[in-house]
Amino acid sequence: MGDIVVLLKAALNPEMVRSKPDGTLDQDAIPLKLSDIDRNAVEEAAKLKQKLGGKVIGIMVLTVGPMAKREKDLKMAVQEALAKGVDEAIVVADDRLTPGDQVQTAKIIAEVIRNSGINPSIILASEATIDETTGQIPGRVAAKLGLPYISFARSIEVADGKIIAERDLEEELEKVEAELPVVVSVTQEINQPRPPTLIQIRRAARKPQKRLGADDVKQAIGTKRVILERRIVTINRKQQIIEGSNLEEIADKLIEILEKEGVIKL
Amino acid sequence: MKALIVAEYTRDALEGIKAAKTLATGSTILLVFGPASTEAENLSGLVDKVYTLPSRNPEAVYNALRRVYEDEKPDLILGVVSKNVKDSLSRLAGAYDLPMSTEVLEASVEDGSVKYKRGILSERAYSIEKVPMPAIILFNPRIFEPEEARPGGEVVKLDEGDTKVKQIGISKKQLSGVKLEEAEIVVGVGRGFKKKEDLKLAFELAELLGGQVGGSRPIAADFKWLPEDAWIGISGKRISPKLYIAIGISGAPQHMSAVMGSKVIVAVNKDKNAPIFKQADYGVVADLYQFLPILIKKIRERKG
Ligand SMILES: Cc1cc2nc3c(=O)[nH]c(=O)nc-3n(C[C@H](O)[C@H](O)[C@H](O)COP(=O)(O)OP(=O)(O)OC[C@H]3O[C@@H](n4cnc5c(N)ncnc54)[C@H](O)[C@@H]3O)c2cc1C
Repeated sequence: MGDIVVLLKAALNPEMVRSKPDGTLDQDAIPLKLSDIDRNAVEEAAKLKQKLGGKVIGIMVLTVGPMAKREKDLKMAVQEALAKGVDEAIVVADDRLTPGDQVQTAKIIAEVIRNSGINPSIILASEATIDETTGQIPGRVAAKLGLPYISFARSIEVADGKIIAERDLEEELEKVEAELPVVVSVTQEINQPRPPTLIQIRRAARKPQKRLGADDVKQAIGTKRVILERRIVTINRKQQIIEGSNLEEIADKLIEILEKEGVIKL
Repeated sequence: MKALIVAEYTRDALEGIKAAKTLATGSTILLVFGPASTEAENLSGLVDKVYTLPSRNPEAVYNALRRVYEDEKPDLILGVVSKNVKDSLSRLAGAYDLPMSTEVLEASVEDGSVKYKRGILSERAYSIEKVPMPAIILFNPRIFEPEEARPGGEVVKLDEGDTKVKQIGISKKQLSGVKLEEAEIVVGVGRGFKKKEDLKLAFELAELLGGQVGGSRPIAADFKWLPEDAWIGISGKRISPKLYIAIGISGAPQHMSAVMGSKVIVAVNKDKNAPIFKQADYGVVADLYQFLPILIKKIRERKG
């Protein structure tokens, strides 16, 4: 088995959205975290390694700056991936590369894979991230490396240099087969990520990490997207907790409120 | 200006053509694959040329797209999001370093670039961005009114090319046909329910109120306690009922962003700190197993 590569993102956390008084997004104040479905990709990588051997290499490209504000979150996201099964992390982070876009990110990833002596048997990524959610990076990377791509995999089985995967489409489950090496995007349903053990967390701190900057990926520099404006979606809800001395009273109150709102008729 | 529309489903082709005509004047070319390919002839009168590919293997679509891209040199590649469309176009984007945007809500074309708006941060915010053409823009479904199909134009058949990923089986998902997006009252169930049988509490409540039952992603996609067309969220269905009652749902942004069109949102959750209470109109802090039987009993009594 060659290398098992996992694409990782330290993504803006949508549960901690922050805005300025005029409603524009205060992006610098929003923390980053390891994107949710990346955990499923790491878990799947760890399972593959257990079965087939090989080394799990995580590649993370920072797309939002400024670096001074992101160092801590970036470190946490990398640590989490290392604790959950990544053996070695390559982090590309540089203020000259932010804000990134998907054109640049895919170029960086392909360049890192080509130039870091990585010999991938499989490249795993999540179906989409929690911040941009466009799900296009794995397909771009596959095209750049000239590798076959299997998207939206709900299950994978790797043996004898071959992969069989179940693709989760709108109305069907499609079973496909291909020879390695291959790029695969996984859905949230592919597995249940296990929380790392204390030993795994301790070991993570000693695992190798390589830090690359813009000078290491010169060929890949260059974005096409210009962000003009970002605003939060305001949520205006009453947020009223219905109180009462017992559940009977609460149920009565709720029914009366909903009747008064005109949304139920009994 | 030349626009290339890529579609897997006929309805998406008709919306895509409408999008192309709304965004810019010039020539329009259509590439239909998979299910929509059977309608190529019927759609051909709407555009300057139709390319058709029976396969829906995204690798075959990518092979075909590359040839069409080289031959036609479109400025804008348009479509409506579907999984195979995203897959094949993301590869085209990678091969030519084209900017690509998905789940786009609105777009406009101005001197060599496209400006568009889309949700970000699991739709907790939106972003207005600009990219130079050629670019790929995939709209959310149902943004554009579909054109009326019209035959009578040129149809060009494409072949699959060499594919390394082979289909070895396909099975239809069990779908219920429930139209949550049209329901006036929706009862949403989440992981607060401990087993499938317990959902009968939610079904009973929905039936009494004349509503439908939907669920969070884990309930529908992972546990499969509900059919997938009852999956509510940014990767499932977007709903805008008069009343949404979320039971045992924590309030993750990927779920809540898709229910914000509801007139009134009620949340039942046993954790008073659950994020959903900040996104609901009325909250009941209670164990659903205690509260639902009482609520059902009370509604029954009132209905007489
Ligand atoms: C890219 C992406 C896309 C996604 N798309 C979707 C989507 O389309 N739809 C979607 O739903 N999710 C989606 N998710 C998943 C989402 O992030 C959450 O994981 C999911 O919504 C959580 O479901 P839940 O609220 O049912 O479960 P949980 O978050 O586990 O919440 C269960 C809740 O039940 C409460 N509870 C437990 N027991 C009881 C009881 N006895 N009585 C009352 N309350 C109880 C708990 O307090 C808790 O708040 C997506 C995630 C990603 C990363």
